[in-house]
Amino acid sequence: MTKHRSLLLFLGIVAVIGSIWLYTFLASPSRQSLDQRVHDVASQLKCLVCQGESVADSPATLSLQMRGVIRQQLQSGKSEQEVIQYFVSRYGDRILLSPPMQGITLLAWIVPIALMILGALLVFFVLRSWQSSTAKEPVDTHGAESINMDEQELAYYQRQVEQELAAEDPVFSQPASEAK
Amino acid sequence: MYFSDIGIISLILASGFAIFTMVVATLGATRGLPQLVASAKRSVLTVAFFLILASAALIASFLTHDFGLSYVAQHSNFAMPWYYTISAFYGGQEGSLLYWALMLSIFSAIFVFTAKRAPAVLVPYVIATLMGIETFLLIVLTTVSSPFVRLPAPLADGVGLNPLLMDPGMLIHPPMLLMGYMSFSIPFALAVAAMITGKLDSEWLRSIRRWMLAAWSIQTLGLVLGAWWAYHVLGWGGYWGWDPVENAALLPWLTATAFLHSAMVQERRGMLKVWNLSLVIACFALSIFGTFEVRSGIINSVHSFAYSSIGAYFLAFLCIVILSSIGLFIFRLPKLRPEQEFDSVISREGSFLLNNLLLVGIMFATLWGTLFPLISNAVRHQTLTVGPPFYNQVDGPIFIILILVMGIGPLLAWRRTSSRALRRNLGIPALAAAVCAAVLPLLGIRDVWANIAFAVCSFTVCAILYELWRGVRVRHRHGESYPFALLMLFARYRQRYGGYLVHLGLVMLAVGIIGSHFFQVQQDAVLKPGQEMNVAGYKLVYFGNIDRTYPDVEILSAQLQVWHDGQLQQYIYPGRQLYTSFANQPTSLISITTYNLTDLYVFLADWNGVSEATIRVFVNPLVLLVWLGGIVMLLGGIICWWPPARKPPKSDHAGTQASPNMLLTENSPSASVGASGVPGGLVGLYGRPLWEALQHWFHNTWPSSPTPRATIKANHPSTQPPSPLRDSWLVNRRDLPRENREGTS
Repeated sequence: MTKHRSLLLFLGIVAVIGSIWLYTFLASPSRQSLDQRVHDVASQLKCLVCQGESVADSPATLSLQMRGVIRQQLQSGKSEQEVIQYFVSRYGDRILLSPPMQGITLLAWIVPIALMILGALLVFFVLRSWQSSTAKEPVDTHGAESINMDEQELAYYQRQVEQELAAEDPVFSQPASEAK
Repeated sequence: MYFSDIGIISLILASGFAIFTMVVATLGATRGLPQLVASAKRSVLTVAFFLILASAALIASFLTHDFGLSYVAQHSNFAMPWYYTISAFYGGQEGSLLYWALMLSIFSAIFVFTAKRAPAVLVPYVIATLMGIETFLLIVLTTVSSPFVRLPAPLADGVGLNPLLMDPGMLIHPPMLLMGYMSFSIPFALAVAAMITGKLDSEWLRSIRRWMLAAWSIQTLGLVLGAWWAYHVLGWGGYWGWDPVENAALLPWLTATAFLHSAMVQERRGMLKVWNLSLVIACFALSIFGTFEVRSGIINSVHSFAYSSIGAYFLAFLCIVILSSIGLFIFRLPKLRPEQEFDSVISREGSFLLNNLLLVGIMFATLWGTLFPLISNAVRHQTLTVGPPFYNQVDGPIFIILILVMGIGPLLAWRRTSSRALRRNLGIPALAAAVCAAVLPLLGIRDVWANIAFAVCSFTVCAILYELWRGVRVRHRHGESYPFALLMLFARYRQRYGGYLVHLGLVMLAVGIIGSHFFQVQQDAVLKPGQEMNVAGYKLVYFGNIDRTYPDVEILSAQLQVWHDGQLQQYIYPGRQLYTSFANQPTSLISITTYNLTDLYVFLADWNGVSEATIRVFVNPLVLLVWLGGIVMLLGGIICWWPPARKPPKSDHAGTQASPNMLLTENSPSASVGASGVPGGLVGLYGRPLWEALQHWFHNTWPSSPTPRATIKANHPSTQPPSPLRDSWLVNRRDLPRENREGTS
């Protein structure tokens, strides 16, 4: 019964958040200012006359001019991707701050992600094999929940714990006040 | 006779002693001759002495302006203030190598002084390894890259330090970062020693983790200081540019963080030995790789202040390190079997494994991105850049998952966690995340990623605070006042609560990064006196430029008023410094003012006479949290590292066998970091009385509030007293002694 209720609660919360997100991100499409769009494009292009700076960050004159071009092209209705493509066609791939996701340079993107997935699989299978080697002891699916100690046993461990704690940390030699 | 002659002689003598130590320590260990080991220990101190002497000679050459010495002439001049003159010591390649060798020798000396805390079998091998590294550095220092090379004729005045380096950041960031790189050599030496001797027990683990924590803390400080310096000096409104050199400094930090977590699995469960050793070796190899990368100039970087031919030496050394480590590994592999077995994926061990996967994943993605231009250049002869957009898109999501795991992991029990306990513990943090996810979009945060990231951060912060609260509550029920209970948690269980503090700091840092990454607003304007510009609610009114000329430097600054909410806030003076000796490299004097966690970052991009200025303004929300988070992380690291307060009980607490003591797994003193049993030298000497005074004061200021009740109730079965055991669901049946378990089943 409680399980169903918590599930319902969970679904309810998910639904509320989902509708808020749908409303904010879909119903009112992002009205990014032109400045922001220029910055977005410029931060993906490399300033060719500086050391490792983007066109957005660089104070160089060339970058200033490039930002002007970006602004012009965006105003004339081009999309961000088209503006970037325009610069690539003029300067080649070296203008890009991140390798293009095609051809050989796609490797730059795929390799880390593929290795992460492989790593996750490896960890999973290693864990599984370790687990199955312990399977001779019946694995308790409910875990600690299903521990049903009798009073005597519980009291024994209780005492044990209190003693150890008290030896370790004087505060536990004080009896506890009532639990809430 | 110059100071530099003393320097050369010291370096040669130091190399002699380093080689001598290496041989003697190895002989002493293999032949079982304690006298030889003792001699090796003294010899380590001698090496340190000669390196201190050599460094003092170099500093003396700087302070006496000995421009006959090439290194001094190239990195200082008469006009530099004395503190930058001293910091020029590590301003170039030769000097920074000497600094590195010096730090290595000092750390080796500290290791020798505290050697009685480390397992005795390991000490000679550790010393031999450290001196092997030292020998390598000294050979480079005495042959190809000596700071003591004299010019045919002395110069009248030196060239001076690169103006970018003439900044307060220079006084502390490079020494910290170099020290951080170097400090990974002690864990490495301990790992090598352990592989040779086969002694990888809990004593070894405590030793190595303590040194790793120290290295981690130093590296954390170095990284945060580097980010702070970049933010204050470079003028592009950010603090981390994913530059190859910055990445190189981050890589060993990531593997060190992974090790500090997986070491806990080894300590508690005797698993992951091979993995942990590889992480330690990776830390050291990556720090050598970083040095190689910076020195060789194979990769374009803004940091290439100094590079030369010594890259090849570092590459060779890197190969030796990696190959010999692999060799030792194969030799030792049969002994590295896990002692215990794995129970469930949903457990603390499982979360640590996931944490390791993510950290190593970030490390690998970053390394791959750093090296990819090289690979592409070799294969396609095409230069391309792997810049911030790549790292943001690849590392960013992994980082967010990492923060999520950071929130869940500490709530899981060792071995396995019941789903009920999990639900109970995750409920409140999940609710916080839900509220955050629901409210932030309504408050106008439109970016999906930013919303996800903030929700994850609120989850984790809430999980950590909840965990702290539960700890405090248990102590409070036993009669401590709340503030005192909190203090005692940190004092008694340093590893655990220091770790939480580090986590809290990391989340603060993450919030700062997310805020400044997604919500930075930038604007440029060319202003004439009287003109104004408006950026994100701030109005800047320009008045004109002020030009001040000093003998060695010209400072030009623009005067602006800052208005916010219709009120004049203050005057700011962003400017440029033009050093006469580096006229083409004007450094920036950036004006950063903080209003409610938001930085107004104003940079003078260009100017024309005294009545025109190109002003570049960034409004960076939440950047302050990056620095605060860094400080909190460092504080947490120090708490973890701090020597234990008192001797652990003599009883056999150590080890991972199931014993009744294992009930208190998390809280047993043997679990606290560095429980070496000896109060920490000077720190212990001075820290103890201070600590006791503080305790006393706390007790008097906040007297314990709930009166402890009579104990009758505790004996009544129906109202069991809330033991921390029951509260902390740490109890696990299979950790109980077998006879007890069987007795009732």
